[in-house]
Amino acid sequence: MMAESSPLTTHVLNTGDGVPAARLALSLHWLDPRIMIWTMLSVGTTNEDGRCAGLISRGAFGPGMYKLRFETGSYWEGLGQNSFYPYVEVVFTISELDQRIHLPLLMSRFSYSVYRGS
Amino acid sequence: MSVSRLQQLKGHIFPENKITAMATPSPLSTHVLNTATGVPGSNMALSLYRQDPTTKTWSLLTSGTTNADGRCPGLITKEMFVAGLYRLHFETALYWESIGETCFYPYVEIVFTITDPGQKYHVALLLSRFSYSTYRGS
Repeated sequence: MMAESSPLTTHVLNTGDGVPAARLALSLHWLDPRIMIWTMLSVGTTNEDGRCAGLISRGAFGPGMYKLRFETGSYWEGLGQNSFYPYVEVVFTISELDQRIHLPLLMSRFSYSVYRGS
Repeated sequence: MSVSRLQQLKGHIFPENKITAMATPSPLSTHVLNTATGVPGSNMALSLYRQDPTTKTWSLLTSGTTNADGRCPGLITKEMFVAGLYRLHFETALYWESIGETCFYPYVEIVFTITDPGQKYHVALLLSRFSYSTYRGS
């Protein structure tokens, strides 16, 4: 029995070195609109290809405000380098129409970009 | 001694920087660009916070709005600009709403570390409805 793949995926690229960012810790959070508090839904670490499976289940991915937090500072430290950003948090809104969301993070020590991909 | 010579000596002892008549520019600057339409991101609300190193709580330092060029002068004074963790918060969804569009990102927060407050730091934000990028510029 295979688990259905997560409707939310990410892909972290180290654009400084031109490689996937492997072994980068990340977490997914959801903003509870009733009390306006962030709840952590899952934690994970990117694999050799900079990806992290199983972020969220299809059923749990309803409309709302989510946050992906990437431990980029720790990642660069692990490579013996410093970085301008201690971490990167990307806050995004999911509507009823959003089925699959792919949110890559391209990052170097002094810049990063995110985009909604496919 | 002539008056002009006295003035010259006075200038050496009490150097008058004419520019101090205006406020010294902020050591931290930002620039918001709307990459979807190729214009500066003007009239975007933003705020600057600093984290207290012991309590880890964030304090609001400045609130502002970008001007017609997508910039926000006077973010922080040299005196206030100490080493530490800072956060720039941009009201991106409100910005897009004001021009009749939605944005995937309700807001954008960029957290960065200032190690040497003697340097100048430029934190740019390039933004569209579904993507953004930031970099340390000059």
